[in-house]
Amino acid sequence: MFKKMIAKSMSKSPWIYHMNTGSCNGCDIELVACLTPRFDAERFGFKLAGSPRHADIVVVSGPITSQSKDRLIRTLEQVPKPFCVVSLGSCPKSGNVFKGSYSVEAPLDKYVNVDVSVAGCACKPETIIEGLYKATLILQKKREAMEK
Amino acid sequence: MVQNMLMNLLHIFIFPGLLFVTVIGVLMTGIDRKLVARMQKRVGPPIVQGFYDFFKLMGKESIVPEAANKPAFLAAPIIGYVSLVVMVLFIPMFSFSVYSGTADMIVLIYLLTIPGVALIVGGTASGNPYAGVGASREMVAMIGYELPLILSVLAVCRKVGGSAMTFSLNEIVNWQAANGCALFQWALIPAALAFLLVIPGEVGTQPFDVAEAETEILEGPLIEYSGAPLAMFKLNTALKMFIMPAMFVALFLGGVHTGNVVLDVVLFILLTGLVSFITMTVPHAIAARFKVERLFKFYWTLVAALGLVSLVLVWFGL
Ligand code: SF4
Repeated sequence: MFKKMIAKSMSKSPWIYHMNTGSCNGCDIELVACLTPRFDAERFGFKLAGSPRHADIVVVSGPITSQSKDRLIRTLEQVPKPFCVVSLGSCPKSGNVFKGSYSVEAPLDKYVNVDVSVAGCACKPETIIEGLYKATLILQKKREAMEK
Repeated sequence: MVQNMLMNLLHIFIFPGLLFVTVIGVLMTGIDRKLVARMQKRVGPPIVQGFYDFFKLMGKESIVPEAANKPAFLAAPIIGYVSLVVMVLFIPMFSFSVYSGTADMIVLIYLLTIPGVALIVGGTASGNPYAGVGASREMVAMIGYELPLILSVLAVCRKVGGSAMTFSLNEIVNWQAANGCALFQWALIPAALAFLLVIPGEVGTQPFDVAEAETEILEGPLIEYSGAPLAMFKLNTALKMFIMPAMFVALFLGGVHTGNVVLDVVLFILLTGLVSFITMTVPHAIAARFKVERLFKFYWTLVAALGLVSLVLVWFGL
């Protein structure tokens, strides 16, 4: 019974850790907008966590600058399992307008397995919430796989 | 003999103890979050959100950092939790009381500091600089709210016991049953106000959450915790959310006797919920965080003065 409850709770209480790897701040602001009264992501249990140790979903925005690459990898190593990685906007996916720059090391999936990528430059809060919701379902599956 | 032991076990593990207080505390955090959301015109999380959070954390990996002192790091949340559960056994719910002694108020005051100390120990044991800052802030907050808390409790004890002073919560409740609520004694009104202001500080909710300020020091002492130990710390906060208002109700609103124990307990829980709404939910929705030194000043000047006024009035027999 407890195992079922734990698996169910996994998808009901996702805590988000937001990692900015050189984003232009457009996507970050949209992520914060999700928590405002208009969109109210808290109704699904989403909460912004301050420390990677508390995170269930790591949201990465920005094109991964050379400076932030090592820190990104180090942070992701500190997150307790099971966790999901969500890439926010076009930047971590392809490099977007920064592609080809000497200091940009996109895409994100070179370094880590990305579970959900949210498209858009800057992505809409509705899409972000949908992407995060999909990530919670993956989280539940990961937890169930951990049992076996 | 056997029946006595069974009753004791029942009290400790089921009714006012472990199970009951955990469930009601976690429910109260859910109701608190829901009400805050409604006040901000949001839909808010479901009322059982606290249970989801708890079970989710139970299912996560628990990491112990390399720099941490492992025994202290893992024992701290459990010690805090146990001391809170013990506290509940000493708080009389109107006519229903489990254990009582001649000085249970003093026991309660000592037990009340243990969760705070556990937070400090756990934070410093984790070896993280943010946790160190959080632990030192928690210490400042503890020194801050402890003084007015003790002053206001002393005022009630002196009022009830006369010059002999009684430290028995049961006696305080019985006295209120005979003479009406302590809140309606005008000399005790400042003490009641002081106690109400201490409640959010003790629990560590919004205007007084300097120790766990997640926007400044990333949840302070909790920063390195994950999985089951973090769930225990979250439970500690939830239990405090029930216990502090419960102490207020027993000290200042006690003495309601409907004649039926079940009804009494239900009434007690409802009153506790009301007090927690006034002291924690409303400030959470409307106030921003205090600075550390402002918080200290606030408690040692305004709130302590309220407690002191009450104590002096009561001392002169008013
Ligand atoms: S995707 Fe667009 S809005 Fe988002 S960080 Fe990149 S450039 Fe900025």
